[in-house]
Amino acid sequence: MSEESILRVEGLVTQFSTDRGLVKAVDGISFTLHRGETLGIVGESGSGKSVTNLSILRLVQSPPGNIAAGKVLFQGQDLLQASEEDVRLLRGKNISMIFQDPLTSLNPVLKVSIQIAEAIQLHHGLRRKAAKAKAVEMMKLIGIPDAERRADDYPHQFSGGMRQRIMIAMALSCNPDILIADEPTTALDVTIQAQILELIKNLSAKDRTAVILITHDLGVVAGMCDTVCVMYAGRIVERAPVDELFYDPKHPYTRGLLDSIPSVDLSGPDRLYSIPGAPPNLIDMPDACPFAPRCSSVMEVCTKAMPPETVLDAATARSVRCWLHTKEIKNA
Amino acid sequence: MKSNRLIRNPIAMTGITIIGLYLLVILVSTFWLPFDPVDMDIDHLLEGPSLATGHLFGTDEFGRDILSRIMKGTSISLIISIAATALGAIVGTTMGTWAGYLGGRWDHALMRVADVMFSFPSLLLAIFIMAILGEKTYNVVIAIGIVYIPQFARISRGAILTIKSSEFIKAARSNGASSTFILRKHLLPNILVPLIVQISLSLSVAILLESSLSFLGLGVQPPAPSWGNMLSSARKVMVLAPWTAIYPGLAIVFLVLGFNLLGDGLRDILDPRLRNVR
Amino acid sequence: MGKYIATRLLSLIPVLFGVSLIVFFLVRLIPGSALEMYMGTQVEATPEQMVELQRLFGEDKPVVVLYVEWLGRILKGDFGYSLRTGRAVLPDIISRLPLSLELTVISLILALAIGIPQGILSSLRKNPVSDVLNRIAGLLGLSLPQFWLASLMVLAFSNTQGWIPMGNYIKFTDDPLRNLRMMILPSLSIGIGLSAVIMRYTRNSMLEVLQMDYIRTAKAKGLAKRIVIIRHALKNAILPVITVAGFNTGYLLGGAIVIEEVFALPGMGRLALYAIYQRDYPVIQAIVLVIATLFVIVNLLTDIIYSLVDPRIRLDNGARHA
Repeated sequence: MSEESILRVEGLVTQFSTDRGLVKAVDGISFTLHRGETLGIVGESGSGKSVTNLSILRLVQSPPGNIAAGKVLFQGQDLLQASEEDVRLLRGKNISMIFQDPLTSLNPVLKVSIQIAEAIQLHHGLRRKAAKAKAVEMMKLIGIPDAERRADDYPHQFSGGMRQRIMIAMALSCNPDILIADEPTTALDVTIQAQILELIKNLSAKDRTAVILITHDLGVVAGMCDTVCVMYAGRIVERAPVDELFYDPKHPYTRGLLDSIPSVDLSGPDRLYSIPGAPPNLIDMPDACPFAPRCSSVMEVCTKAMPPETVLDAATARSVRCWLHTKEIKNA
Repeated sequence: MKSNRLIRNPIAMTGITIIGLYLLVILVSTFWLPFDPVDMDIDHLLEGPSLATGHLFGTDEFGRDILSRIMKGTSISLIISIAATALGAIVGTTMGTWAGYLGGRWDHALMRVADVMFSFPSLLLAIFIMAILGEKTYNVVIAIGIVYIPQFARISRGAILTIKSSEFIKAARSNGASSTFILRKHLLPNILVPLIVQISLSLSVAILLESSLSFLGLGVQPPAPSWGNMLSSARKVMVLAPWTAIYPGLAIVFLVLGFNLLGDGLRDILDPRLRNVR
Repeated sequence: MGKYIATRLLSLIPVLFGVSLIVFFLVRLIPGSALEMYMGTQVEATPEQMVELQRLFGEDKPVVVLYVEWLGRILKGDFGYSLRTGRAVLPDIISRLPLSLELTVISLILALAIGIPQGILSSLRKNPVSDVLNRIAGLLGLSLPQFWLASLMVLAFSNTQGWIPMGNYIKFTDDPLRNLRMMILPSLSIGIGLSAVIMRYTRNSMLEVLQMDYIRTAKAKGLAKRIVIIRHALKNAILPVITVAGFNTGYLLGGAIVIEEVFALPGMGRLALYAIYQRDYPVIQAIVLVIATLFVIVNLLTDIIYSLVDPRIRLDNGARHA
């Protein structure tokens, strides 16, 4: 997969000041995205996956949030150092984002055609009528029946699945290089989920748009992604091409996630497996592996220091952040 | 933790400070006033503020010391305001809570009555009631209290209705909780928040209503000093003696401001939705 | 949409009915009857004359009958006659309506013109210190008693001609410029306080709206800040402001009593006040009924405007499509 890299995130740290202390939502994330690649970011709520993506586009609410360190390299620019204006010019045009809840993410008092056409007007410099025509085209493309008439409708007049399609139309209307999809199907019915994912897949394949897909659902990952990053407590704990992740998970957390998927042939007295314990409190984290309290393979060193990221295969960017594997290599 | 947040909120604290100052004035004025508020000093009619004569805020057309009258007026205004708000709050909340809880015909009836009462501008309604009851000072409490009843009824009913059908009430019921238990443990604490905010705002409006009524001659009757009626009698002479109009007005402004600040600050502290908004 | 308006109009009827009931019966509670007022203290009457007078004044009939008769007359447009002047009440009220309307409209315009921009700006401010100062200033505006502001203005302009009506009210239709000059100060007395209310509502509404997900979406599209604020945020935030502005408008139509009194403006509020001072019962009944009715109607209009502006309500009958 020797595609050119289109986005490089290095050492991203984003924190939030709260009444009770400093929360390090993202603590040193690095990854590379290639043209046409679909990268999955998996984790529980609170793992920092959404914040990572908001940080890329500098959409983190500040205060109380604050991007403390790191680089986001896109087209030779570090987005974190660039001016607000420069980043704004990229948003919607080169890097687009769709959000989890299409009902609250669409403006209730504006017609959908306007909401789609805005971006087109802005980034392609089209006049209002031309932009609206293109918006209607987009709506047809994403499968909204009777698009001409429906263009003048408002978000609340559409079903959840349709609303998400509208969001996708908005995001892809300007043919961005990167699409960031933050849990695009979580709020939808299962049957609609498949349709939406299919849509994203097809549209991005058409223009070779790179996709960052954030989700907590491993099923989605299996169907959509080329590469996967598993996040826990603000860090990437495992990184792998999708097949390898499912067949040979290295990190205990990843294994736990895979084991938690209920299997159809679960029978008899077998109980549903869930990872014991609860996600950690992200305030004042000690220098240790954050998963240690819940890990079935925990060792003494895990509670003493944060494991470094061990690269297992540079070609596929396979890596894991776990003392188990650091030792393995040491002992190899 | 709640009191910590209170102290850290500058708006609420400013409000409390101002109200505290007025309370201090009331305390002091029970023992001592610079002059007797009804005492007419014929040698010093309509004189401006001066340290020499001791009339720090000047005198009115009867030679009465304005500062002393303002201080005395503080007790009158504050007592009326508190009493009227208490009346409206107690009666209104009781009615609203029962209407909201019982629902059905009672709720409908109450809402019709409240709607009708809401059709009258508050001041007009208060004037009307004063005309019926007679222009005595204690009637001002009743008049303003009655004006407030529908407001409190609506707020408490609204709060009850929001909670009544919410999930955790259903959960409590499915656990076997009785009606009174639910009322006490779940419903009442939830109406406390909007209620407290409304009370502090009502206190400020009551001061304005009372002084408006007194200004129109329908409230506190002279010679008892209310800031409102002081301003009313000042109208004739204020061109010659502006201090007669300025100081009583300032007294009103700052007390009302104090209650408004407190109410706003409390809303900041108690309303969880706005908590993270700067 | 039409159905919505129709239902709301229908719901008005019981309310207005209740209002008329309250007005009629409360007026009867005011001490002293019309007959007593008419008689005064000087006139003596024989028992036969008293019976006749009582019949004339309708005091021989049960009160419910009197109410029904009164209501009947009102619906036919007969609002009775003033005890003091003997003139028909309705024409008097109608002649005062333009002034109250003008006062209300100008005050509202001032309040919106000052309050909305201030509210928006203050919601965008990031500096906590200036934010607190701004809020205190806003609350200060709310705390100023209208009659005090009005009195101060009279004081300040007492030597300048033409700014204060003081009994020499000039109608708009007669001389627009002089009329406007006279209405500025009264409107300001009301408008300053009202602008503080509007500012607070706008600010709070904007703050809430700016937290919404769709604002984040708008930013993610790369839209300029100005567009995000005006097209996306304000359009949503303005909705509660419409409600509050409408409510206050209704209030002002009959509630500007004190301002009219201080500036000696012959408006409806002043008519109500003096009718109550003078125990002129027919006038009291009529004017209070009119004021309350106007209030209710303005509130209804506000609701209708709101539902026209908010597409979620306007198009509520739009079925969910696939």
